[in-house]
Amino acid sequence: MGLLAVVAAFRKDAGDTQAEDVDCLRRLASGDGDGAAQLYDRHSRALYSLIFRIIGDEGDAEDVLQDVFAQAWRQASRYDPSRGAVAAWLLMMARTRAIDRLRARQARPVADAVGHERLAAVPADTRDAAADMIDAEEARRVRRALSELPLLQRLAIELAYYEGLTQREIAERLEQPLGTVKTRMRTGLLKLRDALAEGPS
Amino acid sequence: MTPSHDDLKAYAGAYVLGSLDPDERAEFESHLAGCEDCAAEVRALGRVTEALARGVAQRTPPPELRDRVLATFGAPPQARPAARVRAGARSWLPLAALVVLTVGIGVYAAWLQVRVTVLEDRLEQALLQASAAEAAVAEARRVNTELQTTMGVLAAPDLVRIDLAGQAPAPQATARALWSRARGMVFTATNLPPLPAGQVYQVWVVTAAQPPISAGLLMPDAGGGGQTYFNTPPDIPPPAAVAVSIEPAGGVPAPTGAIYLVGKPGATS
Repeated sequence: MGLLAVVAAFRKDAGDTQAEDVDCLRRLASGDGDGAAQLYDRHSRALYSLIFRIIGDEGDAEDVLQDVFAQAWRQASRYDPSRGAVAAWLLMMARTRAIDRLRARQARPVADAVGHERLAAVPADTRDAAADMIDAEEARRVRRALSELPLLQRLAIELAYYEGLTQREIAERLEQPLGTVKTRMRTGLLKLRDALAEGPS
Repeated sequence: MTPSHDDLKAYAGAYVLGSLDPDERAEFESHLAGCEDCAAEVRALGRVTEALARGVAQRTPPPELRDRVLATFGAPPQARPAARVRAGARSWLPLAALVVLTVGIGVYAAWLQVRVTVLEDRLEQALLQASAAEAAVAEARRVNTELQTTMGVLAAPDLVRIDLAGQAPAPQATARALWSRARGMVFTATNLPPLPAGQVYQVWVVTAAQPPISAGLLMPDAGGGGQTYFNTPPDIPPPAAVAVSIEPAGGVPAPTGAIYLVGKPGATS
């Protein structure tokens, strides 16, 4: 069985995963540590990977991951399922906090050295290998869709999402007119939406 | 002038990416509260941002972090790796120098990103083949890491551009330094004169408080182009200037030879 078939099989369970996540979050809100443990086991790898992609430093990434779970615990009762899955909610918090950390580090008088070793060896963990393969395949699928975008569209999206830059800052960074950046970002995002919708489902 | 519905709907993409200015965001959010059409657009594009969140290289958090997160909220930060200096010219670098200097940072970054994608695919293929030579895999990994590092500098929030102008010995030479205190400095030059035997170009970071700091050696290709990467030490002050001098092979601790290129932050050549 190919990886895509595994992914397809996995996707069928997405609804179940969301139901379990909501249950975990409800238990977390009422102070049940088991809910936190289950959420951690299911989502920590995706969250940590995103945070590390944004701040590029292992120590800071660990701190931010910890902050995300603290925030999830504080705000669990305010989670609104109609606005998206628990996983998306956690990822959004991770992205916001990682960008905040990135900005705070810039504001400090002496910045810390950053180890940008994105291909560093990955330690063994307790999750099963199949789940990791599914995540890796999903990541590759998104990167492939991104790589098929025209270059400025892709850069506008990546600088906004992973680096937290505003359109104005991106225009300045890329030495392109603001109007161009706005158009490219919008077009790229719509294309990405269509490309990802065409994938295995 | 009040923006039309269509104008505001066009904000949806930048909104879900978190890329609007604060005033634009406030404007869009107040419109969003009463517009089902825009709310639907935001929901649809929100799924794309979740895909972006998942579309990163996957890595596993250290096993001991699980206990830390679950046991207590709020642990001390970890020690970080020390900075180090690296310099080198790779086969892809001369072209990179030309791209950054002639077409601008946006196109340069895009070009690098394409290289990374190509290399990642190649690396994946190599890893899948049992017969792949370890040396080839290691080399692909190394170059890929280097490209990623350069990308990291370009995307650094504290990026400073320093354009250098050719001095009397080489008026036609140009160079550009892209500086981030957190992520390092990428230096590219073109049109440098060929080096006499036994000599090398050396890049210097000039700060207000300290003697010039060596930022690596530069061996230009036949076209006079070259690039170095300098992993900035964490305690270095912002550069007052970046300069290139000609020095004995192997480099020297402090500049001695003629200055070929010099530039200050904010100045354009």
